[in-house]
Amino acid sequence: MTNDTSTGSTTGKTADESADGRMTMESGPRTESRIQADDAPGVIETKEMSVYYGDFLAVSRVSLDFGRNQISALIGPSGCGKTTVLRSLNRMNDLVATARTEGEVHYHGQNIYADGVDPVEVRRTIGMVFQKPNPFPKSIFDNISWGAKINGFRGSKSEMEDLVQQALEAAALWDEVKDKLADSGYSLSGGQQQRLCIARAIATQPDVILMDEPCSALDPIATLRIEELMLELKENYSMIIVTHNMQQAARVSDKTAFFNVKLNESGMRTGRLVEYSPTEQLFTSPTEKDTEDYITGRFG
Amino acid sequence: MSVEAPERPRRELFPTDEEYRDHLGSRRRKAVGFKFFCLGMLSIAVLALATLLYTIVNDSFGLVAVVNENDPGAIVAGLGHDPEVTGLQEVTYEELVGLLEANVSSGVGRRLEREQRFYEDRLVFEDEATWAEICASDDPPTGCNAAPRDHNNVYALVQERVVVTDVIASYQLVPSIFSPDRFEAEVAEGFEAGRFPDHDLDRVTYEWRAWFNPTFVTTPQNATPEVAGIRTAVLGSLWLVVVTVLFAVPVGVGAAIYLVEYARPNRFNDFVQTNINNLAGVPSIIYGMLGLAIFVRVLEPLTSGAIFTDGVPPSDNGRTVIAAGLTLGLLTLPVVIISSQEALKAVPDSLRHAGLALGATRWQTVRSQILPVALPGILTGTILAIARAIGETAPLILVGASGFITADPTGPFSKFTALPIQIFQWTARPQEEFHNIAAAASIALLLLLLTLNAVAVILRNRYSRRAE
Repeated sequence: MTNDTSTGSTTGKTADESADGRMTMESGPRTESRIQADDAPGVIETKEMSVYYGDFLAVSRVSLDFGRNQISALIGPSGCGKTTVLRSLNRMNDLVATARTEGEVHYHGQNIYADGVDPVEVRRTIGMVFQKPNPFPKSIFDNISWGAKINGFRGSKSEMEDLVQQALEAAALWDEVKDKLADSGYSLSGGQQQRLCIARAIATQPDVILMDEPCSALDPIATLRIEELMLELKENYSMIIVTHNMQQAARVSDKTAFFNVKLNESGMRTGRLVEYSPTEQLFTSPTEKDTEDYITGRFG
Repeated sequence: MSVEAPERPRRELFPTDEEYRDHLGSRRRKAVGFKFFCLGMLSIAVLALATLLYTIVNDSFGLVAVVNENDPGAIVAGLGHDPEVTGLQEVTYEELVGLLEANVSSGVGRRLEREQRFYEDRLVFEDEATWAEICASDDPPTGCNAAPRDHNNVYALVQERVVVTDVIASYQLVPSIFSPDRFEAEVAEGFEAGRFPDHDLDRVTYEWRAWFNPTFVTTPQNATPEVAGIRTAVLGSLWLVVVTVLFAVPVGVGAAIYLVEYARPNRFNDFVQTNINNLAGVPSIIYGMLGLAIFVRVLEPLTSGAIFTDGVPPSDNGRTVIAAGLTLGLLTLPVVIISSQEALKAVPDSLRHAGLALGATRWQTVRSQILPVALPGILTGTILAIARAIGETAPLILVGASGFITADPTGPFSKFTALPIQIFQWTARPQEEFHNIAAAASIALLLLLLTLNAVAVILRNRYSRRAE
């Protein structure tokens, strides 16, 4: 664990200084609580979480425990609700007007769906990288500095430059862009844009990074770079990824959750968690028949 | 192309090669026909615009038949200049004032001086004692505070009062170029028919006249078309634009941001949205009635400026720049809201998600990421809406734009007139010369629109470059 080094000048700030919302969660995850919680079971834990879109039950009663400094993968056929689960973990699903979450999602023991928890604060500590690279239509530098600025970064101009450099280095992009930081983020290739988005997420000092099929819009070489990057980032961050690519899940993840769609009695196609086990075990000796059928390519 | 086609399922349902080729020919003819149809429609549109411009320009320039009561050449010679070298406009300010002093009755002179004095340090028609007395009264004339007249202003007075130029007939631009003789013949016929009983045919001179000229733009309104200008109307229109923009842009963009970024689809918000869409189609005269009832009548203490002063209000009723500007603001508001909404909706959701996922609040995301991208679109819609407002006449008539006013509007609580009002009133006059200045004022209105649009386009380009 390297977290004891992360309480430096830029990271020592706790989350309650950052967002303009209310603060009811325990102190920021990158400080003491994280060190104390070394032997805690996991960083995020869902308890009987169900997500509805209007009357439609999208996923039912998911209980998962995502490990610290691990990469956890969510796999399953289309429509099984894995992206819905992922987006529920940092309350991005709140943006869907009809979405409703039941059950609990615990982050360091605190239910992020409890009354009085500000989703703004949740999202600062649980960052997200999206399926399609979505840099801001601004310079590469501004893409990264903006997240820090809005979260109350108090450093000087040169400290901001250091932060941008660190984030780009962490995302393995620095060498490619160090001479053109003022260029638009759109001038980069697809794979570079996705790494820029990862750097952007890192720069706000998150604890967990959610990735929603981060490589599905990329070619195999760019995919490989992102996968290598994920394995490097594991040192400092916990990651949860959704992927369609089972090889990717097998290559990068420590634990894998398999979701499947089940028709329930009223004819709704609801996603359910089928199996959650260490990746190697899931792919070599799955306990459920559905899992075996899926990973051997018999359906899905 | 003739290729032996292999057997295909359902081949018999498709045309044979020969039929196909025939069919292709007719499709191609239709395509060409449609292209020319569209070209024809475009030509009609261009022709309509060209006709409009032609009509305006045709009336704004051309030959005029002029009778000068006093010949300007003789006046210049009387001042000791050579009329071949020096025009009346080139003589000094003092000489022009001197001409007025010698030719204008003292009553008229005093009136002119009370309107606006000639020299900062001395009086020409009024004596110091009376001047001090009237300036100390409760209702001092404008001349007590206004800056002294300038050269152009006094030259116009000399033209009006000393030379007394009377345009007795005017001719349009195109016939003036191609058949100037016909004009002279028509004027002569007019004299024979006794249409100009006050004038003498021998004293008629013919000259070119640009009704749209710098003096026209900088001279205030006048009852005589030859010396009337649009200064008051241009300033009035500019003031209206300022008030309209200050009201419609913040309110409209703010409402659009709420509706797009914050409002969740529910009955109330759907109702609001539907009504905004309907308001965009409400005729402008209805807005005029609203403006009259609310801004002029109900809010009179506000729109006349009475609540901002203890003593005499800046205006004795609510028919002021601010009442009219707010009315035009209401008129443009729905269009500003709708076009801003469209611009905001065109910003991809991925940017909103990116901002929010970094732990930004809604407002931070909107302010830093969404608005800069939407701004060019918002500006385009706003420009179109404001352009429409500048040309509006009906609501201004209802709200009470002044028909005849010579004092410049000085603030939101001034009485005012506007370019379209001026054009409307001049066009309604029977005399030919008023139609000429109405056309010239139309050119001014078009130029004003063009300038404002150019400014907005420059702004828009600057912002959209910054957003890249």
